[in-house]
Amino acid sequence: MRISRAIALGAVSAMLLAGCTTNVYEEGAFAGGGGGDAADAAGGGGGGGNEADNTGQVLVSGANTGVEGAALQEIYDTYVNEAQDDFTVTYSGSDGFEQEVILQIEGGTPPDVASFPQPGAVIEQAEQGNLVALEDLGYDIEELNSRFGEYLVSLGEYDGKHYGIPDLVNFKSAVWYNVPAFEEGGYETPETWDELIALSDQMVADGLTPWCLGTGSDAATGWPGTDWIEDITLRQAGVDDYDAWVNGELPFSSDSIKRSWELFGDIIFTDGYVLGGANNISGNDFRDAPDPMFQDPPQCMMHRQATFITNFFPGAGSDDELTAGEDYDFFPFPDIDGNSGALMAGQMLAIFRNAPEVKEYLDLYTAQEPQCALGTIAGISFISPRLDVGEDCYDNIIIAQAAGTLNEALNSGVARFDGSDLMPPEVGSGEFWNSMNNYTDSGPDNLDDVLASIDAAFGN
Amino acid sequence: MSDTLTQPDLEGDESEVVYVDDSPGFGGTLAIIFFAVLATLAVPLLTYLMLNAGFNFLADKDLPPWAIGLAAILVGTVGTFALFTIVDYAIKLLPHNIGERVRPYAWAGPAMVIVGIFLLYPAIDTVRISFMNATSTEYIGFENYVYVFTDPASLRSLRNTLGWVFIVPIVCVGIGLGFAVLADRLQRTESFAKSMIFLPMAISFIGAGIVWRFVYSFRIEGTGEQIGVLNAMWTSLGNAPVDWLRLAGWNNIFLMIVMVWLQTGFAMVILSAAIKGVPGDILEAARIDGATEIQVFWRVVVPSIMSSIVVVYTTMMIQALKVFDIVWVMTGGQAGTEVIAERMIRQMFTFRDFGRGAAVATFMFLAIVPIMILNIRRFREEEAQR
Repeated sequence: MRISRAIALGAVSAMLLAGCTTNVYEEGAFAGGGGGDAADAAGGGGGGGNEADNTGQVLVSGANTGVEGAALQEIYDTYVNEAQDDFTVTYSGSDGFEQEVILQIEGGTPPDVASFPQPGAVIEQAEQGNLVALEDLGYDIEELNSRFGEYLVSLGEYDGKHYGIPDLVNFKSAVWYNVPAFEEGGYETPETWDELIALSDQMVADGLTPWCLGTGSDAATGWPGTDWIEDITLRQAGVDDYDAWVNGELPFSSDSIKRSWELFGDIIFTDGYVLGGANNISGNDFRDAPDPMFQDPPQCMMHRQATFITNFFPGAGSDDELTAGEDYDFFPFPDIDGNSGALMAGQMLAIFRNAPEVKEYLDLYTAQEPQCALGTIAGISFISPRLDVGEDCYDNIIIAQAAGTLNEALNSGVARFDGSDLMPPEVGSGEFWNSMNNYTDSGPDNLDDVLASIDAAFGN
Repeated sequence: MSDTLTQPDLEGDESEVVYVDDSPGFGGTLAIIFFAVLATLAVPLLTYLMLNAGFNFLADKDLPPWAIGLAAILVGTVGTFALFTIVDYAIKLLPHNIGERVRPYAWAGPAMVIVGIFLLYPAIDTVRISFMNATSTEYIGFENYVYVFTDPASLRSLRNTLGWVFIVPIVCVGIGLGFAVLADRLQRTESFAKSMIFLPMAISFIGAGIVWRFVYSFRIEGTGEQIGVLNAMWTSLGNAPVDWLRLAGWNNIFLMIVMVWLQTGFAMVILSAAIKGVPGDILEAARIDGATEIQVFWRVVVPSIMSSIVVVYTTMMIQALKVFDIVWVMTGGQAGTEVIAERMIRQMFTFRDFGRGAAVATFMFLAIVPIMILNIRRFREEEAQR
């Protein structure tokens, strides 16, 4: 009896799973059937060759949910679905996107287009032969380069072909500050690293603590520190060294990269610079880290983090939310040795089905107009990767400023992708974080060991 | 548990009797083998066909999701039960001496097939993958195992897991036993006191991890109130707040405390039952002979319940060896708190190295097997005594 019950249970769960799958794909399957019939009919009447492939449906999935997902669907509806009658684009977002899309691919039912949160995942799928190359879809890479810039397009390159179209990006090189406190102290936002250090010294002399720094992030503790190293490297070593470093050609222990850690060390290990001291950085959750900046009186004056951090500022989303531009603002991470740059993270569209309507969707969606329109939807912090979508497209002043800086950097070729996201995961999501924690916990004397252990994980 | 362990023996006895009564002969034996295989495969196969047909049928219908779900449940439960009934009826049509030898296969066989497909096959495949590279495209020999025993983080995980396996069971059984003995002497409040200890058992590992993360919560001095109980107490004594979960070495102990908190109730309940099973006349005899209470405990009670202690202890060991949730939720294996199950998940899903992940899984499996055997053997012993 017990056995039969166990089997029954197994069978039920199998059926339930089957039921779920049905629901997810049901719509597509129907539309597919319907579209196919219609196309067949058209074909009988002398219709053209490619028409037979048109399923009337393009399914796009990604990790953007809630307001972001709704915004994407809104853009799709206005600029794709209403612009033509051949097909409809549906967006489905999920918080578990990264795992779910792998299951769908392995199960043979991938979406038509997936917006991967980082280029590494696109390359991985390309390696496994699951993707349609942009060249095969009929894209001219030169034209894409002029649309997004060579760097972003090259991130999706594998084995001589391109597999990813740059999608929404966000800006990481922001240093946030408390505006009233800066005004009170008569401080000016620095534009170079030397000015930044001078400002920090001035604050210490005035009895203030310049920096709030926290890299705690549960199982990912350490990543906010890696952003610091990337921002510093991009400027002090330049884009060529940055690319070589990210690709594993320039080891962490090289003089060029080591200097980035030393410069970061100048911030975290200088007495009085960091609230709570360096050894508390990794225990301080990055979401809570900026809070002391808004206490009365402010416990610290500056905090470096990507633009999303405003969602974690005290009172965010409530009635007594802080006001951008009045209570807080940001300045771009300062230049080092005369080099500027911008660090970004972002998504990349990968294509699983070679069909004309898929390409048409991509063309319509990545055109200048819809990309610019994204900036007018409230509550959205995306920045378009298009070179010709500038500051003016964005309604939110913070996002506009970030987009302006990033767009300028993209146009002048000094914008770079978050390096740890591009490194092999055992480095970028493993030893780089771990070693960062070792450095902040017990540095700066262990720097050589720290760098050697990352190089070991990188296979150098 | 006891049913499944003793049932095959009973059934064996029964068929033995049948076998002696009317021997089926050589042709009969062949028929039995044939029908046994058929009966074993019949239910899984028919179930598959039924579910597949049900799926295709439902997939074409434009029904609301709840109706599809309900139909799926009905087909799954009623349908499977009907299949068993049909197969059982078919066996009745066979000659009695053959049918009776085939019947056990019809009922137990499908479970074996399903266990084979969903448990045995993946286990064997995991071992195979552990000898392959990150993307399972080529064989690389023992490289993944070499990695498991040389990588610093991997070695830390082995060290920590060893700590979990030795410390957690001892503390759980120690406290559980102590409490069981002391609670045994309470007059009216025994069940209440035991419930208090047992209560955390109702909380999942994940839930406990989140609860205890608040207990250990830490804020940098001067940036607000300490919301963690431990730091609130610690700072009220005039100390600076401590980031407990990043305190090298100690943080592993702080994580183990969570499991002890969760599992002591289990140890206590089992051991309490065992203590109550120790015959009163033995204890009385010992006391009459002049043994002190401590001597009675160590010389009489403990030896009498030894097999229960071993079963509880080994169960705890397996739990500790497999620990994942607590570590993942509370520290994510950071700050030197890696454990092998956490390494397995990280290699597999964060680093996307299936070979190394499978190698860790295989190693964990091999480490659990001896404890498992000991556990089952002791469990049988204990059952035999009853």
